[in-house]
Amino acid sequence: MSHLLELTGVSKRFGGLQAVNEVDFHADPGEIVGVIGPNGAGKTTLFNIVTGFYTPDEGTMIFDGHNIAGLKPNALTRLGMARTFQSVRLFNAMTVLENAMVGQHSRTKSGVWGALTRTGRTVREEDRIAEKARESLAFFDDRLLPRQDSLASDLAYADRRRLEIARAMATEPKLMLLDEPAAGMNPAEKEKLIRQIGRLRDEQGYSIILIEHDMPVIKSVSDRVVALDHGIKIAEGTYQEVSSNQQVIEAYLGKAAAEQQELPS
Amino acid sequence: MTADTITKARGRRGLSETPGFNTGAVAGIVVVYLGMVGMIEAFSDRPIITDYINFGPLLILLIFYFFAYAAIGRPMNEGAVFQTGITVGVVGGLLTGVFLILVEIGESAGYQVRDVFISISPTMRDVLSFGFGPYVGTVWLTAIGALMGLLAVLTRRLQPELRAAVFSALSVLMIGALGATLFRVMLDGLSIPTRWLYRSDGLTLIGTVVILALAIGIRLYVRRQGGARMVALSLPGATDRNLPRVLIGLIAIALMALPWIVNTFVSDVLGTVGLYILLGLGLNIVVGFAGLLDLGYVAFYAVGAYVTAILTSHASYLVTDNPLRPSPDTFTNFWIAIPITVFIAVAIGLIIGAPVLRLRGDYLAIVTLGFGEIIRILVTSDWLKPYLGGPQGVTDAERVPFFGLNTRDPRILYYLILAFALFAVFISMRLKDSRVGRAWAAMREDEDIAEGMGVSVIKYKLLAFAMGAAIGCLGGAFFAAKLSVANPGSFTLLVSINVLAVVVLGGIGSIPGVVVGSLVLVGLPELLREFGEFRLHIYGAIIIAIMVLRPEGLIPDKRRAMELHAIEVHEGAGPGPLSAASAEGVQ
Repeated sequence: MSHLLELTGVSKRFGGLQAVNEVDFHADPGEIVGVIGPNGAGKTTLFNIVTGFYTPDEGTMIFDGHNIAGLKPNALTRLGMARTFQSVRLFNAMTVLENAMVGQHSRTKSGVWGALTRTGRTVREEDRIAEKARESLAFFDDRLLPRQDSLASDLAYADRRRLEIARAMATEPKLMLLDEPAAGMNPAEKEKLIRQIGRLRDEQGYSIILIEHDMPVIKSVSDRVVALDHGIKIAEGTYQEVSSNQQVIEAYLGKAAAEQQELPS
Repeated sequence: MTADTITKARGRRGLSETPGFNTGAVAGIVVVYLGMVGMIEAFSDRPIITDYINFGPLLILLIFYFFAYAAIGRPMNEGAVFQTGITVGVVGGLLTGVFLILVEIGESAGYQVRDVFISISPTMRDVLSFGFGPYVGTVWLTAIGALMGLLAVLTRRLQPELRAAVFSALSVLMIGALGATLFRVMLDGLSIPTRWLYRSDGLTLIGTVVILALAIGIRLYVRRQGGARMVALSLPGATDRNLPRVLIGLIAIALMALPWIVNTFVSDVLGTVGLYILLGLGLNIVVGFAGLLDLGYVAFYAVGAYVTAILTSHASYLVTDNPLRPSPDTFTNFWIAIPITVFIAVAIGLIIGAPVLRLRGDYLAIVTLGFGEIIRILVTSDWLKPYLGGPQGVTDAERVPFFGLNTRDPRILYYLILAFALFAVFISMRLKDSRVGRAWAAMREDEDIAEGMGVSVIKYKLLAFAMGAAIGCLGGAFFAAKLSVANPGSFTLLVSINVLAVVVLGGIGSIPGVVVGSLVLVGLPELLREFGEFRLHIYGAIIIAIMVLRPEGLIPDKRRAMELHAIEVHEGAGPGPLSAASAEGVQ
C-alpha cells in the first residue's frame, strides 16, 4: 500500500537549534497517527513543515503522489491537507458560519467578476459553500450549528476548538493534522473528542495525524504512535510498544526517574 | 450651601476626589481657553435668537451645562447627583471668575497681559463676566454655573423619551440658528419666504417658537407612529414589503434634488465630498476589507488626476512625444480617458503592491507612506517635467462632455460624481459579500491561518491593491475634471491621512461609514467656514467628541460593532460567558 504522506530525512534548523533532525515519517490512508514527545521535541515544527508554513532544509516530502517540498500552505490545502492550531486561531471578527465558509475557499472559484455580476453560477456556488460549511458545523451536533451567526470570539473555549476542526473539515481534506485538540478540555469533553476523531476517520475517510500530550487520548485513538525528542524520531509503533520504550520514558521523565517508573497512562 | 458641601467633602476626601470637582475644573479651563483664543468674543455678537440670545454667552452656559450633564452620567445615589452636578457648575464658574480677577490684578499692577494674549480684550472680559466686572462677575459666574448644574440634574431626571425630545428640539434650534446662511439659501432655492424666520443671522422669536413646536411635534408624531417606517409607509403605494425600496427612493429623490436647493458653493462642496467618498471606498477595500494599512493612498489619487488631465489637456507646453498624447492639439474624450486611467492605476497598484507583499502592519504602513512620497516627488521632478509639467502640473484639461451640458457647473458635475460614487458603493457591497470579501476578511483577521485555509494571500493582497487603486483613481479623474488641472500641490501626504481619517471615523470596513465620514470630515469644515478662524477649533472638537463617544466609528461595520458589544457584555456581566467557558472546561 502506498503511503498518503511520506517524509524522508526531513530536517529543519533555526540558527543553532536543530528543531527537526532527519525524520522519516509516513501516514497511510485511513490511519490515525499520534505524535508524542516532551515540550520542544519538534512536534509542532514537524507540522509546520508538513503543512508548508516552514520549508524543510533537507529531505523529501510526498503527499498523495505530489512532491510537496516548498509548496505554500494554500497549495497544500488545495491538494487535500488541513490542520488545526495549538493555540486556537479563528477569524474572531467573523461569524461561526463564515469561518467554516472560508474553509471552502480552495474548493470554489468565483472571483471579482462573479462577485460583481452575481450570475446564477456564483449564486449557486455561494449556496453550495454555505451548505458545505453547515455540514461541517453539523458534525459537532448542536454545539456549533445553532450558533452559526454569532462571532467566533463569542464561543466557549471548547467550541472554539471544535470550530477549528469544522473549519478544517470544510476544506474537504484527505489528511487532517490536529495540534493538541484536547488541550484545555475536561474529561467528559475528551471522551467525546476521542469518539469524534474516530468518526472523522470512519465517516469522513480522513487520515489523521495528531499531536497530543494527553496520553489516554493518544492511547484510545492512535493506530500508530511516533515519539520525537530533540527533533529526532526515537520510537515508532503501537501505543504499547512506544510507551514501554526505554528512550521514550527517559525523554519524558529524565534518565534517573525512568529507571523506576513507567510512562503515565 | 454648595461651598459648605465642598468643604465637607474636602474634609473627607481631599478636593480633587470630590465628585464633579475635576470635571468642573475642566469646564472652567475650557471656558477660559475659548475666551483666550478669542472665540467667545468673536461670537458675542453672533445672534442665535436676534435681540435675545447671542452665541458667545450661550457658549459659556452650554459648556457648564454639558460638563455637569456628563459628570452625572454614572449611576449614583440621589443626593450625590445634585451635589456633583452643582459642584461642576460652581467649580467651573469660580475658575473662570478667578481667571478674570487674576487678569484684573495683573493689569492694575502694570503687567500688559495683552502683549502676549492678544485676545484677552476688555470686550472678552466683559462677555465672560456678563458685564459685571471681575468681582461681581465671579459671583454671577458661580451662580450661573450652579444653575446650569441644577438644570443638568433636572434634565437627567426627565423621562428618557421626553428628554430625548427636548434635546433633539434644542439641537434642531441650534443647527437652524448656526446654519442660518446655508438654510436661507436653501429656502430661497425652494422659494419659501424666510423673513419671518431669520433676522440678521439669528432666528426671530416667532421662528424659534415655530421650530421648537415643529421639532417636538414631528418627533412625538413619529414616535407614536412607530418611527420612520410609518412615515415612509404613509406614502401612497408603500407596503411593508417594498419598504426598503421606498426609503431608497426617498433618499434618491433627495440626492437628485439637492443641487437645485442649495447654492453652487454647497454643490461644489458636495462634489468634493463625492471625491472623498470615491477615495474612501477605495481605501476601505485595502484597509477595511483586506486589513492592509496603506498610508500612501494619495498615489492613486495623483495617478488618476494626472493620467486623466494629460489625456484630456490642451496644454501646449507638454512635449509632443508623450506616449499618452500624440500631438499637442489632440485630446482624448473624458469617457475614453476613464478606462485608460483605471487601467494605468491598477497597473501602478500592482507595481506598488508587489514589493510589499511580505510586509505586515506597521512596516507595510511605512513603506506605502514612502511610495506615496515617491509619486509626489516624481510629479514635481525636473526629469518628468516635459511630461507632467513639474510644479505647474497639467493644466487646461477638457471639460467632461455630457450631452452638451455645462459640466463646469458644480451642480452638473455633482450628478456625475454621485453616479460614480453610487457605482463604487455597489462594487464595494458586492465584493464585501462574496467569496473574495470573505477571503479578504480572513486575511485581515489572521494572514497565516487564511493562507492555511487555502487563501492565496499574495493573490488577494494584490487584488485588494488593484481594486483600491481602480476606485481611488476615479476620485483623481474627477478632481482633474472638476478643476481642469492636476498639480502636485494637491497630492500631499495630508490627503492620505484625510482619506484614512474618513475611513476610520466612519467605521473601518463600513460602506455607509465612508459616506458619513466624508460628509463630516470634508463637508463639515466647508460648512463651518462662517466661523472663520475658529472653524478648525470646532472641527477638532467635533472629531475628538466622535472618537471618544464612538470609538468604533460613526456607522460601524456590523461585525466590528458586534465585537465591541461582546466586549461590553464580557466586562459587564460577571457570571455570563466566562462561567459558561469554565463549565466547558477551561482548566
